[in-house]
Amino acid sequence: MNERPSILDGLDPEGRVRESLLETLGIGRTELLLAALAGAATWTAGHASHAAGAGLTENDTRILRFDLQLEYLQATMYTQALRLGHLRPAVRDAARVVGAHEWAHAHALKTILGRRAVPPGFFDYHGVTEDEHAFLRPAVAFEDLTAALLKYQAIRLDSRAVLAAAISLHSVEARHAAWLRRIAGVLPTLTAFDRPASQAKMRDLILSTHFVAEDPTTGARRAPGFTG
Amino acid sequence: MRNRRPVIAAVLTAATMVSAAALAVVALHGRGAPAAGDSAPGGTRMAHLSADAAALAPPAKPAFTVATPRPLRLSSRVSMWAPVILPTVARARPRAHAHIVARISTRTPEGTTNILLALGVRRDAMHRLWVHVRLPILPTNTTGWVRRTALGGYRFVRTRLVVDLHALEATLYQGRKALFHAPVGVGAIGTATPVGRFYIRDRLTRYASPFYGPIAFGTSARSPVLTDWPAGGYIGIHGTNEPKLIPGRISHGCIRLRNADIRRLATLMPIGTPVAIESGR
Repeated sequence: MNERPSILDGLDPEGRVRESLLETLGIGRTELLLAALAGAATWTAGHASHAAGAGLTENDTRILRFDLQLEYLQATMYTQALRLGHLRPAVRDAARVVGAHEWAHAHALKTILGRRAVPPGFFDYHGVTEDEHAFLRPAVAFEDLTAALLKYQAIRLDSRAVLAAAISLHSVEARHAAWLRRIAGVLPTLTAFDRPASQAKMRDLILSTHFVAEDPTTGARRAPGFTG
Repeated sequence: MRNRRPVIAAVLTAATMVSAAALAVVALHGRGAPAAGDSAPGGTRMAHLSADAAALAPPAKPAFTVATPRPLRLSSRVSMWAPVILPTVARARPRAHAHIVARISTRTPEGTTNILLALGVRRDAMHRLWVHVRLPILPTNTTGWVRRTALGGYRFVRTRLVVDLHALEATLYQGRKALFHAPVGVGAIGTATPVGRFYIRDRLTRYASPFYGPIAFGTSARSPVLTDWPAGGYIGIHGTNEPKLIPGRISHGCIRLRNADIRRLATLMPIGTPVAIESGR
């Protein structure tokens, strides 16, 4: 399943990030597949039905909702890695700053989307946040991909005001990518011109990581059987 | 005098060159730029660039802006839990062949997702991840190690509930701040509420059983006495249809609150909240 072309191919010609990401995540483990499928359903449903936001076109709402979910995915990963406490000081310092940026992006997107904002999802990083080595690779990949995605989306936005805001995020995501690449020992940039990554391909790649998980059912409408 | 003439000439030449360079810098910055059509190539270029800049459309005001955030805090007063996504076993040590402490199912007796409070993470010699967890079994306070692959994603909570069996009070804290405080009914003599460290597993609502009040929280605590109770003898935190008995030692081990209090607690206490039941003496 990992042989098909991916947006990482364009961003990571040597295949280092992609290979490491997929290897780290152990894609293909049967026990994770069911949870991932359930999560995929949630993810897809979250982006399939929505109404245009106040002041936003249907098209722009669709783009910003996707970005919001992606920001949640990244921000939660940084927060979780920090809380688990297995990062060296250099990585920890970067994660504190970059993670705070991602939460700020999420907050801004949530504010402009208002009632159309998607709620934060439930994520399972499958061991990535417990280990610095495993953490850095998807962190780099997601920063790369977010910059590439924003490049794809920017020219599709209807509103110039939304475009002006989006490009202010784009350059920051590119800086995050360069920062984390440097820490991970990967060249900050490989090409003179970056290629965009489409939203559909980005969604497929995110689903292939199995990071989007089913929300556990912790509530029920049934009579308790406790001792009383 | 003969020797000084070349020096003076050199100084004058240098001064002339510096002046010319200064004029060129001024021109490049647009001050005293030559008129269009001037024969100076740099001047023409600058004039064109200035004209292009002036002809640009006005900028759009960004639809949103992002304030400069503070770096994320390294908070230590956070607890972590994870759902059980695969039936598994808890072992005494983080090793594949260590003694089995308990078998863990994916569901609670209430039909909700079984969750475990995570206390730490470690890798074994084979580089496999193990999670140290608090177990919902007897004896009280038992912990064990489960494979990370059996668990779903982590969730974090900042709250903790403390139940004082001596003072007959429950207090919900966030950090050092008390968010909630209320009198409670606890286990009677012979069916005492177990003392120890537990966590909130689930929340039951909209059932037709006035005995438990409007809301009941399931905990990981089990009665050491009522071990043959149909649903496993788990201790709940719930409302009541006999509020006059609170505070008191009146239950089979459960922690009872007045209905107004359990409703308020339900707005403040998330699933996964650690529960410390203390003797208070």
